[in-house]
Amino acid sequence: MKVSIGWIREWARVRASDAQLAERLTLAGIECEAEPHRTDLRDVVVGLIRDVQPHPQADRLRVCTVDAGGKQPLTIVCGAANARAGMKAPVALPGAALPDGTAIKQAALRGVESAGMLCSAKELGLAEKSEGLLELDADAKVGVPVAKHLALDDAILVLELTPNRGDCLSVLGLARELAALYGLTLTGPAPRAPTVASTKKYAIRIDATRDCPHYAGRAIEGIDPRVRTPDWLRERLRRSGLRAIHPVVDVTNYVMLELGQPLHAFDCAQLHGAIRVRRAKAGEALALLNEQTVELTPADLLIADDRGALALAGVMGGAKSGVTAQTTEIFIESACFAPERVAATGRRLRLPSDALYRFERGVDPTLQRAALERASELIVAICGGRAGPVTEAGARRPKPVTVRLRRARLDQLLGHAIPDRDVEALLKRLGIGMKRIARAGWHATVPGHRYDLRLEVDLIEEVARMYGYDRIPARPYAAPLTPAPVPERQPAQLLRERLAARGYFEAITYSFVDAALQRQLAPDVTPVPLDNPLADTMTQMRATLWSGLIPAWQYNQQRQQKRVRLFEAGVCFGEGAGAVAEQERVALIAAGPAAPEQWGVPARPVDFFDVKADLEALFAGVGGLRFEAAQHPALHPGRSARIVRDGAPAGWLGALHPRLVQALDLAEAPILAEVEMSALQGLALPHPAEPPEFPSSRRDLALVLRDEVPAADLLAQARGVGGPLLRAAGVFDVYRGAGLPNGFKSVALSLIFQDNSRTLTDEEVDAAVQAVARRLQEAFGATIRGESSGGVDQGGTGRSAV
Amino acid sequence: MTVDIEPLLGKARTDIGAAPDARALEQLRVDLLGKKGRVTELLKQLGGMAPEARKAFGERVNLAKDELARLIDARRRALTDAELSRQLAAEAIDVTLPGRGETVGALHPITRTIERIERIFAEMGFASVAGPEIEDDFHNFGALNIPENHPARSTMDTFYVQNGRKLLRTHTSPVQVRTMERVVREKRTPPIRIIVPGRVYRRDQIDRTHSPMFHQIEGLYVAERVTLGDLKYDLMSFLSRFFERAVEVRFRPSYFPFVEPGADVHVRWSGGRWLEILGCGMVHPNEFKAVGLDPERYTGYAFGMGVERLAMLRHDIGDLRLFFNNDLRFLAQFRP
Repeated sequence: MKVSIGWIREWARVRASDAQLAERLTLAGIECEAEPHRTDLRDVVVGLIRDVQPHPQADRLRVCTVDAGGKQPLTIVCGAANARAGMKAPVALPGAALPDGTAIKQAALRGVESAGMLCSAKELGLAEKSEGLLELDADAKVGVPVAKHLALDDAILVLELTPNRGDCLSVLGLARELAALYGLTLTGPAPRAPTVASTKKYAIRIDATRDCPHYAGRAIEGIDPRVRTPDWLRERLRRSGLRAIHPVVDVTNYVMLELGQPLHAFDCAQLHGAIRVRRAKAGEALALLNEQTVELTPADLLIADDRGALALAGVMGGAKSGVTAQTTEIFIESACFAPERVAATGRRLRLPSDALYRFERGVDPTLQRAALERASELIVAICGGRAGPVTEAGARRPKPVTVRLRRARLDQLLGHAIPDRDVEALLKRLGIGMKRIARAGWHATVPGHRYDLRLEVDLIEEVARMYGYDRIPARPYAAPLTPAPVPERQPAQLLRERLAARGYFEAITYSFVDAALQRQLAPDVTPVPLDNPLADTMTQMRATLWSGLIPAWQYNQQRQQKRVRLFEAGVCFGEGAGAVAEQERVALIAAGPAAPEQWGVPARPVDFFDVKADLEALFAGVGGLRFEAAQHPALHPGRSARIVRDGAPAGWLGALHPRLVQALDLAEAPILAEVEMSALQGLALPHPAEPPEFPSSRRDLALVLRDEVPAADLLAQARGVGGPLLRAAGVFDVYRGAGLPNGFKSVALSLIFQDNSRTLTDEEVDAAVQAVARRLQEAFGATIRGESSGGVDQGGTGRSAV
Repeated sequence: MTVDIEPLLGKARTDIGAAPDARALEQLRVDLLGKKGRVTELLKQLGGMAPEARKAFGERVNLAKDELARLIDARRRALTDAELSRQLAAEAIDVTLPGRGETVGALHPITRTIERIERIFAEMGFASVAGPEIEDDFHNFGALNIPENHPARSTMDTFYVQNGRKLLRTHTSPVQVRTMERVVREKRTPPIRIIVPGRVYRRDQIDRTHSPMFHQIEGLYVAERVTLGDLKYDLMSFLSRFFERAVEVRFRPSYFPFVEPGADVHVRWSGGRWLEILGCGMVHPNEFKAVGLDPERYTGYAFGMGVERLAMLRHDIGDLRLFFNNDLRFLAQFRP
């Protein structure tokens, strides 16, 4: 909300500057800023156009004779269509500088001397856009500076109100708050009820009393709809961002800004019978002021007459029943509607309005009569007419809300004892009635405008707020510590650090992803679509982290980053049996060269085994891990592995499927991996054995066998037969090609034997190697191509070429 | 009879000095000092000498032998040194060439910031816990004292899934509720001291200062005598530790439905500006009631801060989008 500070100051005579006043309110929880208002309209005065003649040289220009308070009338050339004799308008005299920088000089316009310029609102910086001259009040004093006539020496208070402080959505509310903060007496409002000069009245019936606790209304007959809303009222509306529309509507808006009570004016010519406040019937429709027709439900509250719906209570008026330029008889509504009722309708129909904004935050249920009198007074003063008697329905004086405030509770929550005297004084300033309960605290009576004060804790906040949060001392940390057991390593933290140490950068991608991409990456997962996505490329929750990492890789590739290593740790979403499941995972993407570009090392593209090593580093210390050949719809069928831990699937590793590389128009096939975070849990606590003191013996074994035999099976068999003396078995070379039959490969195994209590003899080791060789022959049909003795395995001596 | 050994000696000195390598030098040593060497041979002439002369000659020859042996040693050392120098020179490398192998990656600045905040609060006894990102209405709104149709709901424009049955959490506060529910369910009692880092979602268009997804850290401390004074101290101390300097902090009344009294916390920044850093307050009694804790017995404070905002302030980052573009040229600056 925006509102003139000058207006507020009429009722709260604060000495502080505009900026100080805004700061004081802000520190009291009413967040606002004072925006200076333009006042430097030097040499722009009120002028009276006495005569308008056509310009001899230009069809679109006219020559006006203007009285600007000087001895001689001025001749001013003007292009505005609305210039007419008898009209008052701003005149910028020679020497004036307009807000847009235009310097006004005496000058000839198409051959006619012009002694200044007649101005529009836009030219004076009073509107973003405007048509024609700014018309001023007919009784504005000629020659008076326009800045004075319009009281432009002002500032605007721009508020960001929290939803609990609807009571501050008015000049009255802000003046009241300021008076409380500065300890001043509020000097307004003092509405004068107009004389009742008509007998016209409408019966009011409230069917839904809970939705509408109070309704007041009155008719005013014989108004003149052609009058112009006076400048002082227009200006105040303008400073709140409202345009003058119609004198009656302008007054209802003015009173809403002034007192915080939204009002509505009906054209009596469109009313038939009694006014009713009722719930809508299912399927009932209403054409609204904004030219929208809405279908209503029994959850919506209506103002209706005998013929049907007139307005959406507290939200928006109807198109047919509102005031027009022909209206001469009006009925003004000043009602209190329940916040939750109005909010429900506003939210469902997405109809923002100033009335709704106030009603959903709570309008003072005691304010309706006063606001109605104030509006009547202004309308009769501006438009003339005869006010009828006020009709009211519902609770005229709602039962005041009383809340108990306990002394002990106040201290318990604040940790600081504010003296009784101060507590009473601070709350009384807010208009809260304080009745002491012997030693225990108070009964506080809350004023009608404070919807937010219903609980004891609400009052405690008010005490703290008025006292000042800064005056409540900070209490040094005194809580007893209850230290918890410290886990050895945190897997989530460890994995990030390990991956970063291996050259990966951590990415954070949006959890909502492109559905088309995801359908290709995780066709087997039922995704979780968003009901209300923000963009076409963010329509469903990620089912795999790859849905975010692949675009992140592309983003970098488009920026000349050839070598990309990214990882992300986060939640993936899927739906099963109607329920949403969340799984924490970590995923990797690697593309481009295997190593950073460097001298002395031939460049090659990253491959499966590079990333497998990264995964093995991740899983270091986690037992029971296995990679097995398996097919994944998004991965190359010959280059993908399921990761299995303790027999349970734990993730995937592989090259992106060539079909997808093509479909996604990618430059290369990245290597992808994704692992369940749960599989990384349970890091073994090391309980190390002492390193053996006796030397180990290494033997190398070269085998030729069928291509499809997995290395893992080979090693498993070797370990199975090698017995406790076989300490380690590994693959150190694989060869295919010349010298081998098609479909066969040569694999070189290293076998390391050791005993903790003695040096092994050659015979023992030879026997063990023979056993391994025999087993591999039996199990896989492997032929032994060579065997060599490494002797004592120190520094890798004695390896034979295979 | 005297034999003049000077010519022999003179030549030997020259030869040793000129020996080109270790092998030539060794040959020279054998020639001179070996069993049949020329100097050794001289001693054989002693037999024919008078005792006086014999003594003098013997001494002279021995002195000569010693001198030549020393010269040979010196020459040998010189040759070895020269050889080593040649080898070292040949083996020299350009030490300014870059090292080979993998370079180091980096953690995301958001992760860094979260871990930093976790560390600070861990020292104050706060355990880090997590909760679901897809939430129900009760945990995200209802239990947090945000009733149906309350204007506070419209200020947190929400993503919904499953035809409105579930939603993407708009803050990490539902984990407050879940944590307290668990304590009650497991028949434990406060104190509860947790922080909750995690992703949250709001329907904001992406620009320099808005993102439909960002990170929050929630804090909750519930016990029998937690006061606004505790909240002030703990957050002031956190902020000074986080920014590594004694920051000026102010608490301004504000409104969050699930805390009361509620406050925004501001920090005095460069140029004297006050920057809003986080929101906090005393846990609302309605929240205690919703989870089944007695609001008369327990009090507590809660706070919530935006991780991106803290990271932007600490690292002088001006555009929120940088966090989610995952541009390697941005991320690589977080190696240190």
